[in-house]
Amino acid sequence: MQFTVQRRDMLSALQTVIGVVERRQTMPILSNVLIQGENNQLTLTATDLELELVTHCPAVIEAPGAVAIPARKLLDICRGLPDDAEIQCRQEGNQTKIQSNRSRFTLAVLSADDWPHLDEVESGQTISIPENTLKGLLDRTHFAMAQQDVRYYLNGLLLSLRSDRVRCVATDGHRLALSDANIDVNVDEAIQAIIPRKGVTELVRLLGNSDAEIRLMLSNKHLRLELPGLSFTTKLIDGRFPDYERVIPAQPEQEMTAHRDTIRQALSRTAILSNEKFGGVRLTLGEHTLKLQAQNVEREEAEDEIEVSYDGQPLEIGFNVTYLLDALGAMDGEEFLLALSGADSSGLLQAVGDESSRYVVMPMRL
Amino acid sequence: MSGPPVQDPPRRKIVHVDMDAFYASVEQRDRPELRGLPVVVCKKSPRAVVTAASYEARPFGVRSAMPAMRAAKLCPDAVFVDPDFARYKAVSALIREIFFRYTPHVEPLSLDEAYLDVTAPLVPSPSATQTARAIRADILAETGLTASAGIAPNKFLAKIASDWRKPNGQFVIKPHQVTAFLRDLDVGKIPGVGRVMRAKLTDMNLHTMGDLRELSPDVLVERFGRWGQRLSELARGIDERPVKTHRAAAQISAEDTLSQDQVLADLGPHIQRMADKTWAAYQRKAERVARTVVLKLKTSDFQILTRSYTPRVPPASKTELYEIALALCARVDLAVTTRYRLVGVGLSGFIDAPPTMQQATLF
Repeated sequence: MQFTVQRRDMLSALQTVIGVVERRQTMPILSNVLIQGENNQLTLTATDLELELVTHCPAVIEAPGAVAIPARKLLDICRGLPDDAEIQCRQEGNQTKIQSNRSRFTLAVLSADDWPHLDEVESGQTISIPENTLKGLLDRTHFAMAQQDVRYYLNGLLLSLRSDRVRCVATDGHRLALSDANIDVNVDEAIQAIIPRKGVTELVRLLGNSDAEIRLMLSNKHLRLELPGLSFTTKLIDGRFPDYERVIPAQPEQEMTAHRDTIRQALSRTAILSNEKFGGVRLTLGEHTLKLQAQNVEREEAEDEIEVSYDGQPLEIGFNVTYLLDALGAMDGEEFLLALSGADSSGLLQAVGDESSRYVVMPMRL
Repeated sequence: MSGPPVQDPPRRKIVHVDMDAFYASVEQRDRPELRGLPVVVCKKSPRAVVTAASYEARPFGVRSAMPAMRAAKLCPDAVFVDPDFARYKAVSALIREIFFRYTPHVEPLSLDEAYLDVTAPLVPSPSATQTARAIRADILAETGLTASAGIAPNKFLAKIASDWRKPNGQFVIKPHQVTAFLRDLDVGKIPGVGRVMRAKLTDMNLHTMGDLRELSPDVLVERFGRWGQRLSELARGIDERPVKTHRAAAQISAEDTLSQDQVLADLGPHIQRMADKTWAAYQRKAERVARTVVLKLKTSDFQILTRSYTPRVPPASKTELYEIALALCARVDLAVTTRYRLVGVGLSGFIDAPPTMQQATLF
């Protein structure tokens, strides 16, 4: 294979797929990027055996072919070259010679024949959804996914489709984030799929704010998205997502509303002196006031008080401050609502007058 | 909720990693003049026992836990080296760091062996076999030491498998191979089946795991109680024990080899001494509550006995610990003239203490 490509085209294509390339892997070829050249374009593919990204960039193909090149080294070389550089690549046996002006590099490459392609994606449902809608759903929920939990089905995000709604749900077992978009999608029956954490993280990075429709294909084992210039395929987590609807409080006893930014700032201040390991903060609700208190192991203390709308029973409850801040940071709206049913029951957070995103946080015994 | 068909969680992939002659190998690595020689790591004392023996010493019959005098007789050319546990611990910490690169689910059993659950490895890998190979390669590259590994669907099989290709090898037992693998396996290979248990099984004409499997579980349960239940499960390749990441303290104990062998009736003061020591360590480091008291004894002919008791309320003072340990002597059924060379008192069965801060869960 032999081709000539503009540095900026190659760099942007590599940056698109590099997130998939693991730094540590047990198969050497996984640290490479597959480059295929034909019809005046390069196709770049990166995979970690679970997630596969494919993108393209224009190039002059002098000799068509395919080869697996060390991804990070190639990226660093492109980064290091001047903005307007032109790069020539030529494969010679198990090496690739790269030349740009007076810079020359020789990289050890692997055969494209050994590339581990993902299994063929079986047929499934195809829907279209505006790019910014999907991005919004993920942005408002992804932080609540578990990380390396033994309950492997929590290390991902539930995508739930029915004819009039797309819903995303994430939970780590202590808190839950749910976001709905009421749009018509063309599905015959409700479908659920759990997207693995890494795929979600990459999607959050790759999705833009355009309102162009993107195609989303869902089979039993895979999710595939076709974005402009990019194809994203991930295996799905084969497991049963917990019955999340059961844990969303249906009829909370007490409701408090407050200015979202005011409480975020008060929580951030109080958090400075909360226990580093547990991050507990005590909320005390009285008539139109909310008191926030934290104490760490060195017995240092923080206390704050803000005005809220509340006329229910006095109530004292503990929460992990990070869970509250995550939820408050993800929702929209100036005013938010906190619904409670006592010190041992979960709290429900949402923007006032907007049910589309809901956050459930379990309390902490302090 | 509808959607893709619900399936069982994936089969577990457990790796048991066992360093090859760990202490002796560390010595040979750090002291090149010892390489190729039979090395015996052992305290300098007339009554000491062998802590570790290099592979060069093993053909002579030298084994861990054998008296030093005997080892010297079996292998007159052996080089005796004082153990340096600080150094072994440092190397062990390096190895553990390597494990944690590949999975958060690591259960160290001692300085030189650990269980790893690699069902969902942190580093993408086509198979647990490849993961095990990568871990062993990292250990060799970064510590210069070799390790052996067993790969299987559970801890019991993984541990047996790690012994199969030792040293510097690995062995896989795939789920469909379990039955065939166990059929001819000697019951003596089961962790926990010692000389005494093995003799009892031989009396029942049970020699292999296959023999155990043929037997109705009820027979084993009737004869051996809960342990019988477990034996019958193991014979069927069933072992659901999870890889426990938090083994901060599986047991806190103190033991001592006596300067002279003594009969059971005279062990009281030694039991008290060990109970005091154990209690002090428990107060110092345990973050959780121990429920079980363990008495460990070793006879003059190196038979090890343990007796344990779990009171309804966890022991709350060193006096109580001592009294329970002493009372456990009554459960020793050897001849009163039997002499003992080692006494140990331990606390185990840790449970979480009443928490001051506990996060409630959704599900």
